[in-house]
Amino acid sequence: MPSPPHALTLLVWALAAAATAQIAPNPVYAAVIVACAALLVRRRGARDAPGGTFRTLLALTAVFVGIRVLIAVLTVHGTGDAALSLPDIGLPGFLGGYTIGGTVEWPVVRQAVAEGVVVVAVVAVFAAFNTAASHYELIQVAPRAFHEPGLVLVVALAFVPSTIGAFREVRLADRARTGGTRVRRGRTLRHLVPVLETGMEKAMALAESMDSRGFGHGRAGGADTVAAWTSLVSLLALASALVALVGRAHSVAAALVACSVTLVIVAVVCVSRSHRRQRHRPTPVTRLDVALMGTAVAVPVSLALLGGMAGLDMRWHTAAQTWPRFDPVVAAVILGLAIPALVPAPTREPGAAT
Amino acid sequence: MTQVRFRDVTFAYASDRRQSTGAAALADVDLGIEPGELVLVAGPSGCGKSTLLRCVNGLVPHSTGGRFRGEVLVGGKSTREHPPRDLAGTVGFVGQDPEAHFVVDNVEADIAFVLENLGTEPVRMRRRVEEVLDALDVTHLRDLSPARLSGGEQQRCALAAAFASGPAVLVLDEPTSQLDPQGAEDVLGALGRLNEVFGTTVVLSEHRLDRASPLADAVLLLEAGRVVSSGPPARVLPEYEGAPAVTRLGRMLGWDPPPLTVKAALRFARGEGDRVPALPKPPAEPPPPGPPVLHARGVGVRLGGGREVVQRVDLDLHEGEIVALLGRNGSGKTTLLRGLAGLVEPSAGRVETQRRVLYVPQNPNTLLSAHTVRAELEATLRLLGRSDPPAVEAWLAALDLDAIADRHPRTLSVGQRQRVAVAAVAVGATAAGPAAILLLDEPTRGMDAPSRRALVRAVRDHAAAGGTVVCATHDVELAANMAHRVVVLGQGEVVADGPAESTLAGSLFAPQVLRVLPPFLTPEQVETSLGARS
Repeated sequence: MPSPPHALTLLVWALAAAATAQIAPNPVYAAVIVACAALLVRRRGARDAPGGTFRTLLALTAVFVGIRVLIAVLTVHGTGDAALSLPDIGLPGFLGGYTIGGTVEWPVVRQAVAEGVVVVAVVAVFAAFNTAASHYELIQVAPRAFHEPGLVLVVALAFVPSTIGAFREVRLADRARTGGTRVRRGRTLRHLVPVLETGMEKAMALAESMDSRGFGHGRAGGADTVAAWTSLVSLLALASALVALVGRAHSVAAALVACSVTLVIVAVVCVSRSHRRQRHRPTPVTRLDVALMGTAVAVPVSLALLGGMAGLDMRWHTAAQTWPRFDPVVAAVILGLAIPALVPAPTREPGAAT
Repeated sequence: MTQVRFRDVTFAYASDRRQSTGAAALADVDLGIEPGELVLVAGPSGCGKSTLLRCVNGLVPHSTGGRFRGEVLVGGKSTREHPPRDLAGTVGFVGQDPEAHFVVDNVEADIAFVLENLGTEPVRMRRRVEEVLDALDVTHLRDLSPARLSGGEQQRCALAAAFASGPAVLVLDEPTSQLDPQGAEDVLGALGRLNEVFGTTVVLSEHRLDRASPLADAVLLLEAGRVVSSGPPARVLPEYEGAPAVTRLGRMLGWDPPPLTVKAALRFARGEGDRVPALPKPPAEPPPPGPPVLHARGVGVRLGGGREVVQRVDLDLHEGEIVALLGRNGSGKTTLLRGLAGLVEPSAGRVETQRRVLYVPQNPNTLLSAHTVRAELEATLRLLGRSDPPAVEAWLAALDLDAIADRHPRTLSVGQRQRVAVAAVAVGATAAGPAAILLLDEPTRGMDAPSRRALVRAVRDHAAAGGTVVCATHDVELAANMAHRVVVLGQGEVVADGPAESTLAGSLFAPQVLRVLPPFLTPEQVETSLGARS
């Protein structure tokens, strides 16, 4: 399998694809986005576990979306155009007073599905990013202040595929125990306990490994203290901005947000400069990576322009009984998201230590 | 100056105190390790080996909690005052499961991880990484993800990552417990080089002492958290029941000092001249097998739609037969067992049997979900819709689990968990009707000598009761001890299949005794012959 583009390129691609799904919330376009993500996994998903972490995550999301649609159709009423009628139960006031059941209405079904497919598309995009990108490569290009929290996040993300793998093994061991007989009674607990306990033991082993290899070595310096206070004041400024917005003092809110952002930048710069961490051969961002990032960003920007200036409607209007609209121009633009999966991978020589 | 000094160390885990077991994991440990020494820590499962190793870099008590008394000094630094991260430049640590220790998904970056953390200058860091890649002979793996490597390669890369900071002391917890013979040789060879060439002090624990003991300058023997014996291997090991097969053979035949290697044993064997040939020979062939109970014809298994992991396997299993399944890591042993158990669908061929097939997975953690060892066995019977307290007690006794029957399985050592997993599955084999076919996948990982003996006994009893056992293992000594027949897999195909003695005799990795006193496979066979002669 050819090596994937730089992790930063893939991150920009993922953000652009997620933005695209929001700009064109339409099942047809969402399907195109999912197809682009699947292509990326197939061509560049070096870390997709055997059995398909990508597919498993998509299947899980589909299940959750299905549940969400079910809840919506059972609890939202009053839009007309009933599809069928079910027996209904009224919940008491302290539980919100909802009516569960009753008429199932087509606009509600369509709206829930429209919102669900956007969720599926966004999950597909980030699942593809997770299988194709080297998270460590991403940390290497991030400001040094983000190194340690970034690494913790990376390690947490790495537990997603390993937990899925562990679940498969536990299920198999459960069947093995009875000579292949499937016993449903108490199965969830029997599966969940070993997965959680094994996950905790793995987390402990990893924490020990990181600790033994100097992670978090060194004491906090003066710059770290300054950064901590700056971050705290920044958070207070942001909270004050929210209060100002509620009080409709827009200019004060804007000034506070600007102040908060500036303080965050100051904190990041302080920590990055004080950090003793050195980096071993970070992978460089090539011209091809820059071009790929540009192409990816161009997709949602083009769609926004098409929507804003040309008045192209990319939504699915769920109130009316219509199928989702398909515009070949929009689909062609979205297909631009497949480019990182299709272009030949650049030869990548890590740089010198920095 | 002594490199590592334990001063009257006593330690108890918080969980032990809560459960009022009253036992300290370590008790009154007082020892010193000199610079450049290679010290082998041995002892039965759960005796405190891992705890002792974790004390060297301060993981005990900084990471584990618990009650710690005494002091551990490494290069003059007390682990009480210096947490593991501050000792990263002094002590390198590698645990039992190398895969769980990789932080970064690229071998080279993972090796550099410790250097980055310690703020090593970029130019020095670059040079150091290159040198470590060469020293551990893993340069060709530098761009790969650790998940794609074999067990031996993973362990060598983990060793490289621990060695990168140039530590004065390397600590390794059973580094070869999950490896095939070649992988184990590679890892121990690399470790020996680091000790001999670079003068690094090494402290490692092992159950399989046949390969590790020749490297050691000293052996520490632990029992119930106490050091019961320490000194040169030739002095300490002969008294230990988990000693290498040639050492036990030498002790039996009165060779002095008892040999630690095949080479040393051969010197004695040549000198035996007239004595050894006089021994009655062990039976050349196993007893004739019973009727066939399972037929596998042309079995192929393809995993995840990829390549065929098992190809064209023909295998007949018979009543009362014990079969050892050998082969390097990744040769398809686990997949074949799962195929025979019906847990994965063969992509070609067929498996036919009228008997129940029970499979004990390699990783006991996938199975253990109950709150006590006894409850774990009862859970299996409950799943099968039965209640059979005598069977539970019988399996607890058969695998020497009585003493820990009321403990939580997750508080046990790896070897103890393995025995619990075997008992938890095997208890289901005692149902009415014909005895089941029991498939054991690497059951002796992390097991001490008494536990292995208990397992062999239980397996023989099951076979004697009309059952059939197939045991996938890297452990040729276990195969020699237990199996009537040996099947060797390579690249998913059967490359050898025949009686244990003749199949093992043709292997590069033949058991030690067979290499010294053919056709004997084990010290026990020699002992039986000696008894018969006298």
